[in-house]
Amino acid sequence: MGAGSVREQPQAPMHSPVNWALLGLIIARPSYAYELARRFERTYDGALSLSSVSHVYTALGTLRDRGLVQEIAGTGSAPRSRRRYEATAAGLSEHAEWLVAQASEERRRQRLLVTQLGALVHTPERALEVLDEYEQACLADLAAAPPAGEITPGTTGLISRLIGEETRLSVAAKLRWVQYARAQLTQSGAAGAPGTPR
Amino acid sequence: MSLLSVQNVSKRVREGERERTILHGVELELQAGELVGIWGARRSGRTTLLRIAAGIETPDAGTVQFEGSDLAKHRDRTLGTGIGYVTRTLRAGEEQRVLEQVGAALLARGTPVDRALESAREALARAGCAGTAAMRVGELAGAELVRVAIARTLTLSPALLVIDDPTATVELSERDGILTLLRELARDGIAVLASSGAPEELAGFHRVLTLGEGVLRGVSASGLAPVVALRSRAV
Repeated sequence: MGAGSVREQPQAPMHSPVNWALLGLIIARPSYAYELARRFERTYDGALSLSSVSHVYTALGTLRDRGLVQEIAGTGSAPRSRRRYEATAAGLSEHAEWLVAQASEERRRQRLLVTQLGALVHTPERALEVLDEYEQACLADLAAAPPAGEITPGTTGLISRLIGEETRLSVAAKLRWVQYARAQLTQSGAAGAPGTPR
Repeated sequence: MSLLSVQNVSKRVREGERERTILHGVELELQAGELVGIWGARRSGRTTLLRIAAGIETPDAGTVQFEGSDLAKHRDRTLGTGIGYVTRTLRAGEEQRVLEQVGAALLARGTPVDRALESAREALARAGCAGTAAMRVGELAGAELVRVAIARTLTLSPALLVIDDPTATVELSERDGILTLLRELARDGIAVLASSGAPEELAGFHRVLTLGEGVLRGVSASGLAPVVALRSRAV
């Protein structure tokens, strides 16, 4: 089945991050399933994982059925392990839409965290403890982030630099926010909000 | 035994009519070759913490030990040799070259001129600024000044290098180079304790801690779980 059999009826959204991550790899470079599994481990190490190599076949089946990838001409009749896959126009388009949606999802998660912290406003001690633990996680992320200025050539190096800069800047912003929130919560606790258990 | 051990250190400062606690029960340990960063906002006390860790200032309470010895009792023996505190203030003598400035500490300790200047050349090369040797201090740009200041500290072969906000006066394009130098020194086995007002600059440090309201938060010693500040300690 190739690009010709693109969806004829509305389908449920594809939620699996593994499927989207695999599609991203295929967009970057058409590959065999086995090669995709190896690239997946290298690229998404620590962020996403495959349950097994057969997970790649399952994901490829889903992507193909949705018309997001297709077997490259001439490889469709080869054994399953030797078939190469490339992205379709629909795959390129939907992958871009999914990427943009991820930014919104990140903002939504951050808003959720802040809102949940706000729910502890009447117990500022507990809120400060949560904040301390959140800060510890940020500090660990910062220490684990690749330092600026370490240049690795090529596409892999470019991706590493982009990931590194995104991590450094976003964690730094979170740490600054923690200090702001801590000051606000401390003031709130000192002032004793109405109805605050003391 | 840790190379540096800061134990339950507190410090108050007078600001006009008021006193403010800028360090409260601070605990910090460093091992050889560790690169540790302290992030804090302005007036958070990060400079004071570094000066106390280096033995330049004394705490109001608590102790600082370097290689097992109390700094309050052995400061003269450790500051400048075992502990190198990087100061960016170079004497801007119009006639004195960078090489002579960098070798000055060795000369003051009685090292023969030839050996002192050779050590200074090596330190400048290690700090990535060999080309500044013949320059006058006043000719140095921001990043060069920091590298030369580090080189001057390196001539005394410190086991611990303490540097306050190393990139504060450095052009954005030069910052990564200074931070890379600190990482290289740590890889060579020198413990490095640095502060910064920009947390993103501390990425890739072995440990990063934050200082605010007098409380140091983070992993106080390598191999330990994070210490979550006790609320009762907050000032």
